[in-house]
Amino acid sequence: MNVPMQQSDATVPTDELATESAQRPPRGLPFWANPRLGLLAVIVVLVLVFSSLRSSFLNTDLTLVPMQQDLSVFLVVGLAQLAVLSLGHMNLAVPRMAAISAFAMGWCYQHLSVPLWLGLVAGLIVGAAVGALAGWIISATGVNSFVVTLALDFALVGLVSLLYSHIGDGVAFAAHPAGMNTLRNDTFSDYCAGNVCGPPVPLIVPIALLAAVLVALLFRLSRVGREILMTGSNARAARLSGIPVSRRVVQAHALSGTLAALAGFLLAINSGAFSADIGNSFLLPSFLGPVLGGTLLSGGAVSVLGTIFGAALTEVIRTGLNLLNFSVQDLNIYIGLVLLVALSLDRVRHVLAERRGSRA
Amino acid sequence: MTSTIDPTSSDARRIGSGNALRLREFVRSTDFTLIVLAAAGFVVLASTTGGNLFTGQTLKAVFQYLAVPILVGLAQMAVLAVGQMNLSVGVVTGFTAMVAAWLMVRVGLPAPVAVLAAVLLGGAIGLANGLLVVLTRINGFIVTLATMTVIDGLRYGVNGTGTFQNYSSGLVKLGQGSLVDVPNVFILAVLVALAVAVFFRRAVLGRQLLASGGNPLAARLSGISNDRAIVMAHVLSGLLAGVAGIVDVALSGSVNASIGDDLLLPSFAAPIIGGVALTGGVVAVLGTCLAAFIVRLIDVAQAQYSIDKSWVDLIVGAVVLGAVLVTQVRIGKKGART
Amino acid sequence: MTFIAEQIVKVFPGVRALDRATLRLEPGTIHALLGENGAGKSTLIKVVTGVYQPDGGRLLSTAEDGSLTELSFGGPLDAQRAGIGVVHQERNLVPAFSVAENIALQAVPKRRGFVDQEAMRGLARRCLDRLDVHLDVDRPVSSLSVAQMQLVEIAKALAVDSKVLLLDEPTASLTGDEAEALYTVVGALRDQGHSVVLVTHKLEEVFAVADTMTVLRDGRSVAEAQPLAEHTRDDVVTLMVGRAHADLQLDSRSVDTTTAPALELENVSTAQGHHNISLHVRRGEILGLYGLVGAGRSELARAVLGLDAITGGTVRISGEPVRISSVGQALQRHRLGYVTENRKEEGVFLDQTIARNVSVTVWRRLARLGLVRGNDERALVEQYREQLGMRISGPTQLAGQLSGGNQQKVSLAKWLAADCDILVIDEPTVGIDVRTKAAFHELIVGLADAGIAILLISSDLPEMITLADRIAVMSEYRIVGELDNDHRYERTSHAVIRMIHAEIAS
Repeated sequence: MNVPMQQSDATVPTDELATESAQRPPRGLPFWANPRLGLLAVIVVLVLVFSSLRSSFLNTDLTLVPMQQDLSVFLVVGLAQLAVLSLGHMNLAVPRMAAISAFAMGWCYQHLSVPLWLGLVAGLIVGAAVGALAGWIISATGVNSFVVTLALDFALVGLVSLLYSHIGDGVAFAAHPAGMNTLRNDTFSDYCAGNVCGPPVPLIVPIALLAAVLVALLFRLSRVGREILMTGSNARAARLSGIPVSRRVVQAHALSGTLAALAGFLLAINSGAFSADIGNSFLLPSFLGPVLGGTLLSGGAVSVLGTIFGAALTEVIRTGLNLLNFSVQDLNIYIGLVLLVALSLDRVRHVLAERRGSRA
Repeated sequence: MTSTIDPTSSDARRIGSGNALRLREFVRSTDFTLIVLAAAGFVVLASTTGGNLFTGQTLKAVFQYLAVPILVGLAQMAVLAVGQMNLSVGVVTGFTAMVAAWLMVRVGLPAPVAVLAAVLLGGAIGLANGLLVVLTRINGFIVTLATMTVIDGLRYGVNGTGTFQNYSSGLVKLGQGSLVDVPNVFILAVLVALAVAVFFRRAVLGRQLLASGGNPLAARLSGISNDRAIVMAHVLSGLLAGVAGIVDVALSGSVNASIGDDLLLPSFAAPIIGGVALTGGVVAVLGTCLAAFIVRLIDVAQAQYSIDKSWVDLIVGAVVLGAVLVTQVRIGKKGART
Repeated sequence: MTFIAEQIVKVFPGVRALDRATLRLEPGTIHALLGENGAGKSTLIKVVTGVYQPDGGRLLSTAEDGSLTELSFGGPLDAQRAGIGVVHQERNLVPAFSVAENIALQAVPKRRGFVDQEAMRGLARRCLDRLDVHLDVDRPVSSLSVAQMQLVEIAKALAVDSKVLLLDEPTASLTGDEAEALYTVVGALRDQGHSVVLVTHKLEEVFAVADTMTVLRDGRSVAEAQPLAEHTRDDVVTLMVGRAHADLQLDSRSVDTTTAPALELENVSTAQGHHNISLHVRRGEILGLYGLVGAGRSELARAVLGLDAITGGTVRISGEPVRISSVGQALQRHRLGYVTENRKEEGVFLDQTIARNVSVTVWRRLARLGLVRGNDERALVEQYREQLGMRISGPTQLAGQLSGGNQQKVSLAKWLAADCDILVIDEPTVGIDVRTKAAFHELIVGLADAGIAILLISSDLPEMITLADRIAVMSEYRIVGELDNDHRYERTSHAVIRMIHAEIAS
């Protein structure tokens, strides 16, 4: 029982010979049914609206650079959730996997004075281990991933703050390993060869993009990634096709933990400290990106490009409304509404496309 | 005519020892385990704190602050009954609390009207959740994740981060008062729990919700609308969250928008520890209440021993994981193999 | 009332599932609905119970005064209201509810919004009493045995006053004693004037309890409401099968008997209850494993593949004793593949492309540096598209959009791609139309000719006799006999059926 919340009507007996298009959207839909194009259009429109209302929306230092920094974090957070959505699972512990990995990194920098990259590696390993633990519990007990990761998150909330207060230094580490500030403050425009300077892109953006490309490659081309998707599509058929299902479940969750750790690292870089509140704001964005981008909760298919667009859309709304002097709380109202409207429209679009498809 | 070979003949014998059988079943049930745990926890706590727990004020506080966890646990249980989830339980509690206070302080409505309006508001939000799930066919998790975000914003929209206080002194008096040393709000929570239990056990609608959650196909073939069941479950969940909001208003004497922040996880913990399955079709009112009580005991222990508050989260998380594992072991390995 | 489904036609894309089939049900009779797999029984049942709407023909009921009423069912509920109840193979009960509540689920006695407990228990007891069944009505259904659940389902149909009761393979998962008790109940229903329709593969039971029968063949009713007393068992089998399928006449193929068998089971027992199973299949040979539904054939295959525990005996592959712990291991070490029976749930990934479905077993081989190249995958699909005659629009089409036959080909292609030496093929042609079926048969023979050892599991006797070199007969988790197949239908089918019935009778 891995797919927790199928619509209850999904058990209606289906005709032996008809197609099953009703249960999952077919891939052969017309181009305008592609949610990613719609997202891109909405992003463009919003950027135009915001920049006409507030010219500062296009200001490099005030808006564009911080926006890219935030986007990098939320993209990786979205990827962390996407890694298990591929299975039809959820990871509610993404926030705290990020937190405990950030603790590990901060501790390494503080007490072992390791270089930046080594601490990152240590943190990624911790994230992977915690993720693998979640995956192992799920596959060994067969219990719903929602319950397991919820409980794990609960436990980690306590563990992280205990760690900070007992073997950490209160709520944050003071250590700033070499390179941290550069990574935080610099953009490629600060590096010039003669009079040719790079674009105003913060240095952490390539890290997030690299993660996205690797995840996309994993699910599109690698055997392990594809087998994870097949497991998400139909676990019984996967087992009967010779796929080591339990191992793939553990691997997908470990990947989720690793990406959560990376997101924690990026946020720590952005905010300038490895602190206990890292990850607190991750839960909603982790679902926003993939779900807006068209990744289903039922598993078997993921869209990394969609996740990028989904994360970008939320970031544009966030920044735009901020500039229009909306409070943080008002932001939530609009982001929630956007999610609802986007998903409802997606549904409408699918119904229309299917109707048209069946007539053709 | 009589069956020559009756597969049910063994039942005749079992009926004779029906009471013994039921007792044995009860001893093996989750409820029994929880009762033992709760009692043991209470006794250990009471004895190690040197009877401190039995002083009127402490004991009263234990039960006063049990009301909200019970109510939000029941609110989550109501949607779990039909195989749904409601992530907005916590923020609805906070929002209805803020609206009730706002109606009294700013609009000047009398307390009973404000209370009623706030509970109905909870129900209306539940109705919206249910309709969205049914009409869009989007996963209930995502729908309530979205409405949770919206309501989270609305909650702060009422009064920003400001605090409402000095509202109806009658309501606060009622909320903080007690009937023969039993806190009023706890009595309210128990009465609500009883009503919910009766609803799911006896009411036609309640049974329809459970039938729909337990076997949607059988429910549909019996003329029960699964869509209606989902909507009604969300409405009930919203109403219960609204009642929890009112309890917060009445109990604390001052409210701000942060109410409900820390209720999401407990709302799941209580029913899950209490033995409710995420797949739907089962409710456990007693189990949910007992689980809320056990979590409350951990809270009290934290306060009594002045331990780091973080331990509470760590332990509750571990207990839920443990409960999950134990349930699985109890169901047995046969389920794992298929 | 007399219920008549007259000249029913039901067409699915590519298949005429029902072609003027007529079912006439008189009150106070037990009526057997017979036919081979794919003859249209389940489609007819779904029409009668309102799940499908017919494309032709009428549903009629006659009242006692002889007046006809035409019925039209928009859905299963309409059929129930018209007095047609069905006891499904898949249980239709709410597990956490009590016996009483399940029986009364469609007709809950209410009092001011609450369930009237006493009235509900009373209703349930009355229904159970009519069946002469004694069950504690307060017990949760989840604590009952399968046989008891079935009785509850029958009582449930009585609670809404069903005049017609359809029992679909009611004894498939019952023991002999339980089946006998069930039929006693069914007899009581007949005596009370109900009309009971019995759908079963077990001819023994039909002759023991039924009064009349309708036989379906290729969607037509070849015998309509005929008294069973006028027929012998051989008649009925002939009616069901018609002429022996002569589409594919095979010569006995020569099999190299000098080498060790590709797959050999010696005295194998399993956790599922198989006892002392011995059989072997050589390269280039088709061994048929025949048995009724529930005889334990697929379960044996699953045990051999390591999905269930083998508790005793030896499995040998090419003479070497092996212990297989997973399908992946069976495939990679022993080149043993399993084409599953249940293609929608276990065979294909409906929401994935054909390319992924076919290549899922060989990504390990196709991968360079861990990455799979799309071109290799597509080439694979093109290869099998030709070899198996798959009708698909392209490698990126979704498997869920294909017809049953083509899905089955995708499921088979996955194992051919993996270059298997031994194939276990489980019920390859269930729910597949006649023409595709013949093509499939040629395909399977072709695979054997190419040197693959094939263990063919089927409950379709003509298919078995067409394809197999030898037939092993399984009943109740044991092998009850084995014979060389001379492809002569009459003789072989009677020999096989005798083996099974000798076993059941004993």
